[in-house]
Amino acid sequence: MFNTKRYLVVFVLAAFVILAIVPAAAQEEITLVVWDTFVRPAEVAMMDQLSAQFEEANPGVTVQHEGYNFDDLMLVLPQSLSEEGGPDVAQINQGATSMGALVQAGLILPLDDYAAEYGWRDLYADSLHARNSFSADGLTYGEGNLYGISNTAEVVGVYYWKQAFADLGIEVPTTFAEFEGILQTIKDAGQTPIVFGSLDGWPAIHEYSAIEHPFSDPQNIDDFIFRREGATFVNDANLQAAQKLVEWVDAGYFPDGFEGMDYDNATLAAFRNREGVMWITGSWIAASLLEDANADEIGFFVIPSPDAETPPYAVGGVGIPYGISANSPNADLAAEFINMVSSPEVAAQLLELGFLPAVAVGEDQLTEGTLTTDIVNAWNLISSNNRVGHYLDWAVPLDDINAALQELMAKQITPEDFVTQVEDAYVAAAP
Amino acid sequence: MAGQLDERGLENFQPSSTHRSQSLLARLTGETYLGRKAHARPYQAYLFILPGLLLYALFVLIPILNTLRYSFYDWTGFSEPVYNGLDNYTTLFNDKDFWVAIGHNFFFVIFSTILPILLGLFLTSLLSRRKLRGMVIFRTGLFIPYVMSPVVVGIIWRWMFAPAGPINQMLTTIGLEALARPWLGDFTAAPLAVGGVITWVQYGLCMVLFISGAQSINEELYDTAIVFGANGWQQFRYVTLPGLRQHILVAFVITFISAMRLFDLIFVLTNLGGPGKQTLVTSIFLYTETFRKNNAGYGSAIAVVLTAIILVVSAIVTRLQARTEAEEQL
Repeated sequence: MFNTKRYLVVFVLAAFVILAIVPAAAQEEITLVVWDTFVRPAEVAMMDQLSAQFEEANPGVTVQHEGYNFDDLMLVLPQSLSEEGGPDVAQINQGATSMGALVQAGLILPLDDYAAEYGWRDLYADSLHARNSFSADGLTYGEGNLYGISNTAEVVGVYYWKQAFADLGIEVPTTFAEFEGILQTIKDAGQTPIVFGSLDGWPAIHEYSAIEHPFSDPQNIDDFIFRREGATFVNDANLQAAQKLVEWVDAGYFPDGFEGMDYDNATLAAFRNREGVMWITGSWIAASLLEDANADEIGFFVIPSPDAETPPYAVGGVGIPYGISANSPNADLAAEFINMVSSPEVAAQLLELGFLPAVAVGEDQLTEGTLTTDIVNAWNLISSNNRVGHYLDWAVPLDDINAALQELMAKQITPEDFVTQVEDAYVAAAP
Repeated sequence: MAGQLDERGLENFQPSSTHRSQSLLARLTGETYLGRKAHARPYQAYLFILPGLLLYALFVLIPILNTLRYSFYDWTGFSEPVYNGLDNYTTLFNDKDFWVAIGHNFFFVIFSTILPILLGLFLTSLLSRRKLRGMVIFRTGLFIPYVMSPVVVGIIWRWMFAPAGPINQMLTTIGLEALARPWLGDFTAAPLAVGGVITWVQYGLCMVLFISGAQSINEELYDTAIVFGANGWQQFRYVTLPGLRQHILVAFVITFISAMRLFDLIFVLTNLGGPGKQTLVTSIFLYTETFRKNNAGYGSAIAVVLTAIILVVSAIVTRLQARTEAEEQL
């Protein structure tokens, strides 16, 4: 019969397929899936290099690296971690909405045992580990179990064109008042003091924090971010910072039409084309600036404290940390991967590629007068003095604070309204 | 005759013995040799709907019912859902942002529905009465914005509206420097700029609908109007416009629904509804609550209310449509 013949053919084919698959599976090839925010060409090259190193050290292991932009990763991560086929290792953003929620749902592993085994606690200061820590129920931030290890660091400060400073006779400021004096000097010379665009919302957080942090008590900001008893956004430092930000807008320290400028195109281009003298943003953009031949004509400093004696207090921290999925069948291997990418040896590689490593960098690795050196020095200055600030959006939902800042700068709301509006969003977002 | 059929219906239809000799298809569908469906075995029709229905249920009905269910839960989207009754709804109706967003949706109806219908009618009056050289080119060219992906449209206009972009450059060149502004970042200009883009996208649909409608209007009506001395405007007002009533209602429903669902254009143009919350619409609000603040249960409630609004308005318009249709039959 025809039918029997057909079944036979199907059976034989199926047998072949099964026989072909089974031996391959028996060899125990392990694929370690790594998801992070490294998508720019320089970053992908860095991850390829690290993956190859890891594969070499662990025969039979393949590292599958997938980069997503920040927003996309945060969007897909919760779903992917809770289902089969998700990442073993992933970058997990600090704060309640990302790390806290994932801990609450039991989707990521506490790393304390691994930390003890590999000595991760010694990589950088405890106050920085606190940013990657949550209580086991995911409700209390800044203490308890460790859920992530960072291999990069970030510091928000001021990029400036050295030649423009020299032409105007400006020196790197040592007090906040001096910094404001510089803004006026540049403005008087008919140039734009600060390149800035608020279309995307989030860059405004850095302008605001750059003013807020120097006038704030680090203890207050720690309490606010970690939601400790009595923490509030309603205080004089925040109100003054809001007032000053509006003053800066009125004084014309930002470019005309900054409300319509985005970060990655308009603002970056404006700074590259020297349409403004300074740019307040984070160390993450250094790698992009370093693609240009004239990068070493750019310097970097953190905004000083009101008095010259107090070391600067600036937004920064360890970069988005790597964590391990609670569903990963290869958790030990994942920990080994994290150990490698956060090691001091890899830190040297990272530095060479233009990234700011989380672990301390030795003087011998730095070349005088380069942008990288300026940034490493700025990071060392705040981290060695334990004056590393926080991103507001770790505690207040990003969209709420973005909207509030845009409204503040367009004078739709008063500085007083701004402070209460952020406080309301902060309270509403309590876990 | 095998089986009795009369004008009034099939109630009295009795299948006869010859019925058995009909094809399987005809028997399954209950179709007689007269080409009419019998009411005798209605379940048979469902057999044919079944495969489609299963897919529809799997990918549309079940997710909708799930959304409805989750709207009664406190749920991050990946946590264990906790039942909280009507909490999400009471929070929603007291949420200032929700009303702001709904308000903006209705504001954008002006740009998504009213202006495109007016523009569509205007273009129809220009393009439909005379034989126009290159008609196809005009029609296609004017329709293109509607066909383009909203993300592409968003990227194009984001560039056009940039502070140093073509629109401001043009204004400066012709001496209207005072009008130049950071369009998408300006609290007054942004809603209008976004609205302009929406109109630019939507008018093409209305135009194509109306042109095709105008072509089906009986020529004799125009001839009669001309005999009675009607000028161009009067022909449009008294012949074309009434003839397009149905089409206008269809255009209204489609464009109204797209105003309510507005998401992708705003996502690209003003980053989730900025500056501040000036262009925040319900879908963006839903998105940020669900995916950026991990309030999936709350997001579900927003989705349910948004769907209800769309259904109610569509139902009203469909009623209206049925009525005009009935009037036309008279």
